[in-house]
Amino acid sequence: MRFIALSAWKDLRILRRDPFSVVIWMGIPLCIGLLMRLVFGGGDTRPQGRLLVADQDGTIASSLLTGSFSNDPLGKMLTVEKVDLAAGRARIDRGDGSALLIIPAGLQDAFLNDRPYRLQLLTNAGQRILPKIVEESLRGMVDGAFYVQRVAGAQLRPLGDRGVPGDAEVSRGSVALNHLMLDLRGYLAPPLIQLETTVVENRKNAGTADFFFPNMIFMGLLLMANGLSRDIWKERARGTLRRLAASPSPMWGFLAGRLAMVLLVYCAVALAAVTAARYVAGVHVANLAAAAGWAAAAGTIFYLLLLPIAAYSFDPRSSDVRGNMLVFPLAMVGGCFFPFEVMPDWLANIGRWTPNGMAVVQFKAVLTGSANLGHLALVLTGLGALGLAAFLFSLRGLNTEFRQ
Amino acid sequence: MIEVEQLRKSFGELTAVDGVTFTAHAGEIFGLLGPNGAGKTTTISCISGLLTPTAGHVRVMGHDAVHDGPAAREALGVAPQEVALYEELSAVENLRFWGGAQRMHNPLLKERIGKVLEITGLQDRAREPVKRFSGGMKRRLNLACAIVHAPKVLLLDEPTVGVDPQSRMRLLELVRSEAAAGTCILYTTHYMEEAETLCDRLAIMDHGKIIASGTLAELRSLLAERDLLRLSGFFAPAAARPAMERLDGIEVLQADESLLILSVTEASRKLPAIFTALAAAGADVRGTTLTQPSLESLFIRLTGKELRE
Repeated sequence: MRFIALSAWKDLRILRRDPFSVVIWMGIPLCIGLLMRLVFGGGDTRPQGRLLVADQDGTIASSLLTGSFSNDPLGKMLTVEKVDLAAGRARIDRGDGSALLIIPAGLQDAFLNDRPYRLQLLTNAGQRILPKIVEESLRGMVDGAFYVQRVAGAQLRPLGDRGVPGDAEVSRGSVALNHLMLDLRGYLAPPLIQLETTVVENRKNAGTADFFFPNMIFMGLLLMANGLSRDIWKERARGTLRRLAASPSPMWGFLAGRLAMVLLVYCAVALAAVTAARYVAGVHVANLAAAAGWAAAAGTIFYLLLLPIAAYSFDPRSSDVRGNMLVFPLAMVGGCFFPFEVMPDWLANIGRWTPNGMAVVQFKAVLTGSANLGHLALVLTGLGALGLAAFLFSLRGLNTEFRQ
Repeated sequence: MIEVEQLRKSFGELTAVDGVTFTAHAGEIFGLLGPNGAGKTTTISCISGLLTPTAGHVRVMGHDAVHDGPAAREALGVAPQEVALYEELSAVENLRFWGGAQRMHNPLLKERIGKVLEITGLQDRAREPVKRFSGGMKRRLNLACAIVHAPKVLLLDEPTVGVDPQSRMRLLELVRSEAAAGTCILYTTHYMEEAETLCDRLAIMDHGKIIASGTLAELRSLLAERDLLRLSGFFAPAAARPAMERLDGIEVLQADESLLILSVTEASRKLPAIFTALAAAGADVRGTTLTQPSLESLFIRLTGKELRE
């Protein structure tokens, strides 16, 4: 036990003198995550834009048209701002806004009296998604207005003919529209459709950070495990492993010491990563300690799983190549680079059965607070057993190498 | 003490050590000499438990190196041929780790660390990372790590390779002082002069076997006061060798196209005859070195080659 502590102390001292390796291992995926967050614009995946409206009509119809852009779901993507025509043109010319909608005078009159009318939409060439959304929405509104005019034009027209309508005209118009709707009910009322909804993944309010950071943290843990496991080769190259084998201290004590160091380092790194994800990136973390603990345990098991590669490789280069050949496909398939939610189902189903895939799925559950203790224990036991087997296998390799 | 009895170690078809037997006692420096591939490091590896003998026995302080490995290794201090240290750690940290690996505990460990730093002259740099040390300082620390637990048996595998003369002197003094304190030391080296001045007894190894052993005086007597004559130039070995063998009191140790090594009785008197015979054999002698009987000449006589080959 004393030698395990001594071995861990030695490895921690060495790591303290070279902390950049850990920073790099964790830094790469976190940088990728941060870049993704910047590219996709923060915590909400929905794009945000500004619709400039130059309303020269100033009637109820133009207000209804403008207001329809402020209602959900368009209202969550667009901020509608009324401008005068010149200012609107100047702003859209310099790219300040997703689109400029020009409503020339005469919209209401043309609508009620079935006369031709032209709306103008100037879009920002520098944006692709939001101007298209505005354009398609506007087309829908114009089509809707056309059919309303076709169907209910006779009933609506009197309302516009006499300026502000009196109570009697409003009542007559309402009764006429009601009759019309009753007549059309047979055509308009849709058949009864039952909608069955199955939630596959909990994506409710999931932002970019929630989406990518868990994967990025686990990718960092994998890279770190790969790097730490290669340290066996440093020991070989220095001759310290051979020297140790000539001492009365057992090889398993040395490996157990390294394992203790790895667990401690993972605890610190996981706590820092999860804390940063929560407070800097705004990731929803239901239980910080549990999330960090799970990440640390998973990282330590990744280390154990990669240890036999370093223990059994015949030189450092082959150890590097073999380690990378295992780690990168595992990261890609096992949800550590691409989230399972964006993978084809067949690939995600395979990925969820990889060691890191199982750990990532449970990590996300811990983050959202939906983890099942039984599942966690089962996955931890399974992965722990794999890790123990890898530890014993590595130990056998080192003992064979130094006790021929 | 170390007892090696009929030690044999094979790697498949290759027999690296073949029937080696020797005993090294407490307070004695026992030298193991031999060219590369002679089996010295394999022998040391069997003693230190890194290799399991194919046959024979190795006992360290009475403990069998195979069946009672941990106890045997606890009595051992090993300074490997390469500098086996953690370069990121300081000298004190290295000593603490290797002392701990040898099951030493504080406060004795702390006391020993202070002592070995003092005797290796590293106390001023004790807290610096080893990577800032010179080659000689690293060698001294390498040895310090082997003796930090005051072992009863010390295995030193070419501890002075690549060391500057000043550091070498210091290392040799250190080895002598350890032996004077009662430590049994097994010392391998390429440097003849080191073996001659340091070792109480010696064994010369070649092709996995001990071909001669004894004190320096005993080994020198094998030469029968013969001098070693080394001639360089251009020779036709097929003609030069028989020409020399025809002369009385001359033994040809090595003959090739550029070097001729002879074991000669009263060499200074026979030089004219040697030069005449060589000239008749078509040789062109460019250089001559005459050496008094030494370990090196014995080594060449026994193995037919120089130690550094």
